[in-house]
Amino acid sequence: MDNDEQFFGRWVPSSRPPLEPLANREAIEQSRGSAQCTRCGHRLTVADQLPNGALYCRQCLQLGRLTTHHKLYTIPEPNQFPMMTESPLTWSGQLKPQQVVAATAIRELVATKRNQLLWAVTGAGKTEILYPALAWALQQGWRVAWASPRVDVCLELAPRLARAFAGVPQAVLHGKQEHSYTYRQLTICTTHQLLRFQAAFDWLIVDEVDAFPLTTSPMLQRAVKQAQKPSGSHIFLTATPGPHLQKLVAQRKIAVTYVPLRYHGYLLPQMKVHLCWQWRQRLLKGQLPGQLVRQLREYQRTGQRFLLFVPHIADLPPIAAALDQAGVVGGVTVHAADAERAEKVQAMRDGRCQFLVTTTILERGVTFPNVAVVILGGDDAVFSTAALVQIAGRAGRHAAHPRGEVTCYCQSQSRTIQQARAMINHLNRQGRQQGGQ
Amino acid sequence: MPLCVWCNRAISQTVTLTQLLSWGQFPVQEVCEACQERLTRITGSCCPQCGRQQRAATICHDCERWHDGVVNRALFQYDAGFKAYMQQYKFQGDYALRVVVQAALAQALQRTTYDVLVPVPVDAATRQDRGFNQVTGWLTGQPFFQVLEVVADHKERPQSAKTRAERLVTPQPFSLAPNACKLLHQRRVLLLDDVYTTGRTIRHAIDQINLSGAKAVTSLTLAR
Repeated sequence: MDNDEQFFGRWVPSSRPPLEPLANREAIEQSRGSAQCTRCGHRLTVADQLPNGALYCRQCLQLGRLTTHHKLYTIPEPNQFPMMTESPLTWSGQLKPQQVVAATAIRELVATKRNQLLWAVTGAGKTEILYPALAWALQQGWRVAWASPRVDVCLELAPRLARAFAGVPQAVLHGKQEHSYTYRQLTICTTHQLLRFQAAFDWLIVDEVDAFPLTTSPMLQRAVKQAQKPSGSHIFLTATPGPHLQKLVAQRKIAVTYVPLRYHGYLLPQMKVHLCWQWRQRLLKGQLPGQLVRQLREYQRTGQRFLLFVPHIADLPPIAAALDQAGVVGGVTVHAADAERAEKVQAMRDGRCQFLVTTTILERGVTFPNVAVVILGGDDAVFSTAALVQIAGRAGRHAAHPRGEVTCYCQSQSRTIQQARAMINHLNRQGRQQGGQ
Repeated sequence: MPLCVWCNRAISQTVTLTQLLSWGQFPVQEVCEACQERLTRITGSCCPQCGRQQRAATICHDCERWHDGVVNRALFQYDAGFKAYMQQYKFQGDYALRVVVQAALAQALQRTTYDVLVPVPVDAATRQDRGFNQVTGWLTGQPFFQVLEVVADHKERPQSAKTRAERLVTPQPFSLAPNACKLLHQRRVLLLDDVYTTGRTIRHAIDQINLSGAKAVTSLTLAR
C-alpha cells in the first residue's frame, strides 16, 4: 500500500507494466504522423528521434526522459486525510487590520471554490494573509499545494510553513533535491514539479505568477491547470499581474482581493522619472548623467544607502568605474553569475556596504531595511512593467522607514515606465480609500 | 531565429560579407557562442601519453604509474562544463546534444591518420535503456567498425559511479567480434571513447584490439 501512494494523483512513468493493473496512457501520443508528449504537451518532430526508432521529449527532459517506450501510470487521488476538529495553525503572529480584511475575504472565497487572485503590493505580507484560508483548507482534509516558479522561494517558504503548521506533514519538491517523492497533504514545490501531477489538489496556491518562467511558458501554465482537481480551485499571488490576468479580473472571470497597503500601513513610493539624453554614449566616455551623480553624492553625504539598477551585466564595470571617478564610493556590483552574490547581499543587509549596483536579479525577494532605489536606463527592454514595479517595491519596506525614494533615469518615457507608474497609482488610490498615507 | 540546442536561447548569427557574396547557403549555427565556451579545448602542450592538458610536455604522474606506451589524445578538458554536457547528453539521454561536439570531432578525425575507426561499445541493456550509443552518436558519417563487444550483458555498477581504486581493478569487459581479425589485420586502429578518466577502459579495449593482429592502436577521447 505504501508503494501505491506515489501514484496518487500523479503520472509515474515506467517502461515496464507494474504488478497490478493501473490506469495508464502513452507517454508520447502518436496520431496521424504527429506526436505529442502527454506530460508537458510538447509537439515532437523527427529531430527528436533516437537511433532505436523511439521518439523522446526534450522539453520535460529535466524531469526524467519520456520516450515512446514509456507509459504513465496513475491512481486517482483518494484524499485520505482526516478532517481536523481544531485549526492546524500554530503561528503566533498577529495580522494587521488591512491584512485581516484580505485574509477573511480569501477564506470565504476558498469555501465557494472560486478561482481567485490576491493582488497585494510588494511588502504586504502575502504569505501570512493566506494562513487562515490555508488552515481552513487543511482542516477540511483538502490536499493543498503551494507552487512557485522560483526554487529559492520554495526553499525560503518551506521552513516558514513548517513552523506555522507544525502538525501538518509537508513535502518539498524541486529539481535540485536528492531524496524521493513522499505523499503528503501539503506540498511545496516548483511549478515544474506540477507537471507530474494529475487532478491531485483541491486547492492550488501559485506564488509569484508574474515571475519568469511561468508567464512565458505554456508548458507551466498547462501544468497548473492539470495539477488542480476539476472540482478544485486555485489562487494566484502577485504584486504585478500581467495583462492577461488583469483582463480576467476585468471580465470578472476570477475573483480578486486587493491588499493595496503594505503591512506597516503606508502607500507605495511613486517612481520619479528624469530624462537624460544619450546616457549610454556618455558612459562610453566614462561619464554618468550629472543629475544622477548629484543625487548619489547627496545620498552619500546624508548616509542614505541605495540600490542602483542597470539593464545589463556588461554595464556594471563601466558604471562602477564612473561612480568611483565621481567620488561615490563604498559599494559593490552584484549580478546573477556572481560567485559572491549571497555574501554581497548579506553585507548590504548588515550595513557594511553603502550601495549595490545590480541587474534585475535583485528585483524581487530581497528586503533591505532602508534603501533608496535608483534605476538607470529604465526604458530598456529588460525592465518589464512588472520588473519596474517590483524594483520600486524594494524601497520603504521597513516600518521605521516606510517612505522610500525611487528615481528612474531614462532616455525616453517608454510604455513600460508609464504602465508601471499607472499601476502604482492604481494601487495607491485603493490604498488611500483604506486609510493609507 | 534559430535556437541554441543546449540552452534554448536565440542565436544571433552574424553574416559576414564573404558569406553574403559567396551566394551559397549560410552555415547554420546550432550552438550559441556562450554554450561553446562552456567546454574548454585542450590546446598547447599535453601529456604525450594520456593527452591531459598540462604545462610540461613530459609524462604525467598518472601515466608514470601505468608505465606503458598507450597513446591517447583528447579534445576537451573534463571540467564542470563537460560534466554538465555529459550529464544531459549521456545520462539524461538528450540525443539532440550530439551536435555540440560533432564539428570538433570531425575536424580531429580528419587530422588523424588511421585505417579503421573502432568506437568503444555500450552494453546491450544500457543501449536499450538509453536508445543510443553516446560515442557513435558523435560521428557524422565517418565509417567505423563495431568490432568490440561487451562480454557481461549486465554490469553491476557503471564505471562513473566507482572510485578510482575500484575502477582500476575492473576485469576485462570486452571481447572481439568474430570478423575482427579479418578487418583489423595489419591495419592502424583508432579507438574512440567519451571520457578518459583512469585509462582502465581504454587499456582493456587496446589489449583486445592488439590480439586481433592490428599494426598499431591509438585512441581518441572527447575529454580527459
